[in-house]
Amino acid sequence: MLTTKLSCRIASVVVAIGVASVVAGGPAFAQDVIKVGAPLPLTGAVSPEGLKQKRGYDIWAEAANAKGGIKAGGKTYRVEIVYTDYASNTPRAVQSAERMITEDKVQFLFAPFGSGATKAASAISEKYGIPMLAPSASSAEIFNQNFKFIFSTLTGNETVSVPIAKLVTAKNKDIKRVAILARNDLFPLAVAQEFEKAVKAQGLEVVTSERYAIGTMDHSAAITQMRAARPDWVYASGYINDLMLIRRQMNDLGLKAQVITLIAGPAYQEFAKTVGPLAENITTMSWWHPAVRYKGKDIFGSTEAFNAAWEKKYGGEADYIEAGSAACGAILQMAIEAAGSVEPAKVRDAIAAIDAETFYGRVKFAPGGQINSLQPPVLQLVGGKPVVLWPDAIKSGELRFLPK
Amino acid sequence: MIYLQIAANGLVLGGLYACISVGFSLVWGVLNVINILHGTFIVLGSYVAYFGYAHAGIHPFFSIVIAGLVLYALGYVLQAGIINRVVTAPVLITLTLTFGLDLVLNNAMLVAFTADYRAVTLANPLGSIEIGPVFLPGDRVAAMALALLLTVLLYRLLRDSSIGRAIVAVRMDREAATLMGVDVKHINAVTFAIGAFMAGAAGALLSIIFPISPLNSQVFLGKAFVVCVLGGLGSVPGAMVGGLVLGIIESFGSYWFGPEHAVTLSFGLLLVLLFVRPSGLLGRRGYE
Repeated sequence: MLTTKLSCRIASVVVAIGVASVVAGGPAFAQDVIKVGAPLPLTGAVSPEGLKQKRGYDIWAEAANAKGGIKAGGKTYRVEIVYTDYASNTPRAVQSAERMITEDKVQFLFAPFGSGATKAASAISEKYGIPMLAPSASSAEIFNQNFKFIFSTLTGNETVSVPIAKLVTAKNKDIKRVAILARNDLFPLAVAQEFEKAVKAQGLEVVTSERYAIGTMDHSAAITQMRAARPDWVYASGYINDLMLIRRQMNDLGLKAQVITLIAGPAYQEFAKTVGPLAENITTMSWWHPAVRYKGKDIFGSTEAFNAAWEKKYGGEADYIEAGSAACGAILQMAIEAAGSVEPAKVRDAIAAIDAETFYGRVKFAPGGQINSLQPPVLQLVGGKPVVLWPDAIKSGELRFLPK
Repeated sequence: MIYLQIAANGLVLGGLYACISVGFSLVWGVLNVINILHGTFIVLGSYVAYFGYAHAGIHPFFSIVIAGLVLYALGYVLQAGIINRVVTAPVLITLTLTFGLDLVLNNAMLVAFTADYRAVTLANPLGSIEIGPVFLPGDRVAAMALALLLTVLLYRLLRDSSIGRAIVAVRMDREAATLMGVDVKHINAVTFAIGAFMAGAAGALLSIIFPISPLNSQVFLGKAFVVCVLGGLGSVPGAMVGGLVLGIIESFGSYWFGPEHAVTLSFGLLLVLLFVRPSGLLGRRGYE
């Protein structure tokens, strides 16, 4: 009787020790997980963009885990992305990033949406020495802070302005008068200002340059004014809804030009679908497009393979934010493998030293952390589909002009 | 000559603003409810027209009736079932209630339709009408004409029908109307439903002009606010005048001061008007 009780007790102690050792073994097990924090605007004003980033991160994490995880220093790590919704509220993005580092113990971060929130969150990644990769930040103000832990997959705004200015002037000497309409907002305004500089450098005359407020419902006054200035080239910046409205109103009010350039929107599939025949021959720029063709050493292997994986998981095509988000994951993975460690500081050095081809293009970062190896393509919509006009290496068509 | 074009732009835009606002003005004026749902109602009307055109080939101009009736039913149910319970409470209570309902409906639309922008691309657009140096966009002008027609019909309804007289009676004096045998609760629900009908109809008309997304509801609501305060609450001609005045001001303001200042200018004038004539251009004291 006593022995039975005793053996029961011993047995329960053994079980308890066993359980305890499994639990205590928890941290050792958790070591085999790479935790990446991603504060995103999953609700609120910029939620469509936040969801795009999430799709990009997810496809990478899934691909990495499907191949057995990330190998570093003789160990294999599973990828886990920790998401929080900062509801399109930048201060909350910063708090989320900090909480992820201190509470969730993430080893790496993916940045929130846009230049503004990325800049704000970069102070946190810098403070804790956690590498942060950003797929939707291009403004110079982030990268001249001399921070060591922020990296972005978008080149500066001048790289989406200078190539098209050179291309158009080289192809047609009759294009002399340029009219510019910019959304009065951080990125659209900055990119339009870069464009203005770029066309002036090519010797073109800027005949009007106007700004419109966020939430503008009617562009007829600006378009009437542009029409009076008889431009050869019309350039408008904004987001897809602004540009759809502007293109329609240009047509309604009889504003014609040989070149119409709109950024950033026509690179999204919805644009051609919704604007219909008016999308024909619109030129635009994008940091990346499914029509580009790169071979890489990253997990996706090539643009075509990435496109196929995307089509399979989500249907349709990825845009530059979605591809850039997946690229952030692919770059992080390459850096961890190169460093042979998951220690944030070592991985940071490996990201800074990276110079590799990927499905997204060549990846190499300037000292401030901004990618400087990409050549964002110049695109033109022909038959509702984008044709790459530049760079020459991936070109799939020649620039067409609209009738005078 | 360019001024003629700017004036034409302003009038066309103003007609659309009037159409956006008239339902909002009616509900505010009669029920003393600031209906934050109004912008979302307009967007829902646009979706009805969009799906009607995409799947059944119904021209958005004909969808006015369908979208209007769908929203009428929704509006009636919301008012009779929920808002009527607090309709006599201070305005902040009803505002908070419609704000909450708006969050629910708008987010439901985000889930159902996503935030992606869609647009009705007509197979046979009306094109532009050129009168001398002035370009008139055919579809916009037609939408504006229909919007004004709807507004006139609403005006006649309020003046000539017994239900219209009952609505006006409730607006003037709720208690007296009750004493005269008006079923105030029913009239409240009908008024709210008519406001929703006008929003749905406006949404159908706007579907051929503006990209459609649940995110647009705030923009429409903002315009409705300004137009109502400009024109005077609860008055159909007031909403028309307010809409046209706002359209003209924004159009000339954009031309003279640059498009980024158009909104500042219209809100600046609104502030001046609130000081000088707080009941609006056509509003009468005691209605607000």
